[in-house]
Amino acid sequence: MSSTALSARVRRTQRRRGASAFVLDVALRIEPGFTILFGPSGAGKSTLLDCIAGLARPDQGRIAAGDLLLFDSETRTNLPPQQRQLAYVFQTLALFPHLTVEENAGYGLAHLPEGQRRARVREILESFRVAGLAAHKPGEISGGERQRVALARSLVTSPRVLLLDEPLSALDAAVKAEILADLRTWNAQRRLPILYVTHNREEVDVLGERMIVLEQGRVMAEGTPREVLEAPRRKSLAQAAGFENFLAATVLDLREADGVMRVRLEGTAVEFEVPLAHAAPGDRVQLAIRAGDILLATQRPAGLSARNVLPGRIVALEERGALVRVQVDCGARFLVHVTPGAVRSLRLAVDLPVWVVVKTHSCHLLAE
Amino acid sequence: MNLQALLLSLRLAAVVSVLLLGISLPLAAWLVFGRWRGRFLLEALVALPLVLPPTVLGFYLLVLMGPRTPFGRLCQALFGHGLAFTFEGLVVGSLLYSLPFAVQPLVSAFRGVDRALLDASFVLGASRLRTFRRVILPLSFSGLVTALVLSFAHTLGEFGVVLMVGGNLPGITRTVSIAIYDSAQALDYAAANRLALLLLLLSFTALSVVYAVNRRVWSPWSPR
Amino acid sequence: MKSPTHRQSAAATQLLTPFRCHSLQRRTLFLRLGAACLSFFLAAGAASPAAITVAAAADLKFALQDMAAQYEKQTGNTVSVTYGSSGNFYAQIQNGAPFDLFFSADLDYPRQFEAAGLAESGTLYQYGVGRLVLWVPANSPVDVARRGWDALRDPAIRKIAIANPTHAPYGRAAVAALKSAGIYDQITAKLVYGENISQAAQFVESGNADAGLLALALALSPHMQQAGKFWSVPAAAHPPLQQAAIMLKSSPNKKAARAFLEFVKSPAGRAILEKHGFSSLAPAAPPAKTP
Repeated sequence: MSSTALSARVRRTQRRRGASAFVLDVALRIEPGFTILFGPSGAGKSTLLDCIAGLARPDQGRIAAGDLLLFDSETRTNLPPQQRQLAYVFQTLALFPHLTVEENAGYGLAHLPEGQRRARVREILESFRVAGLAAHKPGEISGGERQRVALARSLVTSPRVLLLDEPLSALDAAVKAEILADLRTWNAQRRLPILYVTHNREEVDVLGERMIVLEQGRVMAEGTPREVLEAPRRKSLAQAAGFENFLAATVLDLREADGVMRVRLEGTAVEFEVPLAHAAPGDRVQLAIRAGDILLATQRPAGLSARNVLPGRIVALEERGALVRVQVDCGARFLVHVTPGAVRSLRLAVDLPVWVVVKTHSCHLLAE
Repeated sequence: MNLQALLLSLRLAAVVSVLLLGISLPLAAWLVFGRWRGRFLLEALVALPLVLPPTVLGFYLLVLMGPRTPFGRLCQALFGHGLAFTFEGLVVGSLLYSLPFAVQPLVSAFRGVDRALLDASFVLGASRLRTFRRVILPLSFSGLVTALVLSFAHTLGEFGVVLMVGGNLPGITRTVSIAIYDSAQALDYAAANRLALLLLLLSFTALSVVYAVNRRVWSPWSPR
Repeated sequence: MKSPTHRQSAAATQLLTPFRCHSLQRRTLFLRLGAACLSFFLAAGAASPAAITVAAAADLKFALQDMAAQYEKQTGNTVSVTYGSSGNFYAQIQNGAPFDLFFSADLDYPRQFEAAGLAESGTLYQYGVGRLVLWVPANSPVDVARRGWDALRDPAIRKIAIANPTHAPYGRAAVAALKSAGIYDQITAKLVYGENISQAAQFVESGNADAGLLALALALSPHMQQAGKFWSVPAAAHPPLQQAAIMLKSSPNKKAARAFLEFVKSPAGRAILEKHGFSSLAPAAPPAKTP
């Protein structure tokens, strides 16, 4: 079974205009079954997939799908994408708009005689429940159907690995679940390694067998989704993932029925409601909150589900391109990201009294 | 009416536009999908006839076709006569002069093809050539028609280069634009008017075809 | 050589879209810049009153260059000359081109101008008679000076350039001369037609044609003298190429124009014309040969 795994060691430096070079430097082993590649946009997920598929060239490394060596910088092996025997479903799906569903699905089988090709295409279209659409063009079918056709087109070639680049992000949850179920069924006997890229937390919960967290070109965590997501995080991980607010706090009480607990921010009288964690009253914890997860209001908000609403005062405003960094003093300092439009319409200015609003689940707990 | 000149122009335009399509397809493909960084130089070279007066091209062609250049001597050896004052000479001149009108529509059509489709084709095992045939070409259909019609129409109306290297031989190099010019020079405005009007209608029809084809947006295909 | 019309078809604008400016602001800026340039050039175009503009046949290129230079030296007045075909000038002048004088390669066009009321009547001046030569490049194996018309039958002469006889006076003269020599029918297949006499010269000079029937005035130019050799076609072989100048109705500067025309008629002007191959007006009867 392990002989069919995908192994990839990739180092690739990408020079970006005006910014420091981006370095993708990872070593992965993808076993048969679903593996989720999780991370914020810009983390290098798509670049990694392109390297595996042969659409981008690593500077250094070695990539193999089972016993097929795809790339090795030492032996100067670099199979072209045509010979890698991979399936790659793009975020945009990239169905050929001028070909019918049947022609799309048969595109990768040009080497087969007509009869065999038709049989294989029919079979895969049936597996993905789109056989009835064979004569339609991609522009004439729904998003979910297009998704199924894209999967069928990739998988009909009997690939060694399936790469999926956020293919379901545009679909609603019900359609998504159906398609994933069909993909699971299809893969039950075949046991292909499937690398599924997403930055959507919900998809992780639905799919999770294994997950790899990629941040700024590096693997930050690896394991089952439970291990990766629910264990207390390290502060470095949170920083890398883009948390701007770190607050020391003391646990006040636990409300297990509600799945929350109350903490007091250190050095202040400010109380916060945060998700329940393994802690006891009196324990010290660290809160991490993304600046983009905090809301600002110019009047005390009412009728809101968010549990943490704190009065404060703006102490600084700093415009950085498309976002404005606002510092608010509520006893504790909070950094809040808002848009320039919000600054204009709310007339945000230094010294303006505001309310800071934070959802309970926007507060992440870190281990000390 | 000078039917001979009109037929000659149509024949020239047909030969040139078909040859140009054959030349421009690989050239445009290379300009768009090639890897050489200096491609922009060739692109600029191809576009030169757009900005240069035809007299410049005509002048250089005349010199080039003369017996004093290696090219002129090569033609002499190949055809037994020089290229100036021959139909072949007009074809060579028109190929150069109408080149941007064939290449540029193809280049912009090829550029418009979603790169992800090419990547998808490669990953599905299709070679570059098969990808070109099965994906790029069909998706560039309107560009193909545009290239063909524009180079046809442009050659049909070509004047300066023909004037410079043609020698005004009836049935061989006296194209319709030259015939119009001759009539106007001889103050035979009625004859000039008849031919000119016909040329105008032909060109208008050709351009209408181009714009009609380009208006038929194949949008249901493109994602969003 | 005139510049043929540019055909920047609709495609060209389509192709050059990257240069199209999108913002309204920028467009108005361009408009303003354009207007500023335009007014500048218009102002510059209204030159000093003593400057005149002459439209002239292509064979006068070298003669008029000398003429204008001497005239300018003597009087300080400037003469700018535009060379082109008489047919083009006719159309342009009819539509208000602001030329002062028109030097034609024949007598018909100026007369037509006069008849059409485009020229000042009584100003027509026959400034000379043009002569035709048979010209071959210097490296030609054919000895035109010795063989005369017979040279055109030589197999080494495969293309013969003449000016377009439908509208160029030298072209008509060439055809008449070939006919009177009795070889026109034998060499018709060899003929190629230049748009005017200068272009016919270009065809031979560049080696694309092997011989040409050109204007003596061009053959006498320093460059052509170096590049080839010629045989003078007998004047009797074709109706005389009487050439005339005329002052135009549209002339914005009639006084200066008249002064230049007088200079052309003066002994100094005549000398320049003779030097460039324009013999003075021959008697109406076909002469043996002009001195």
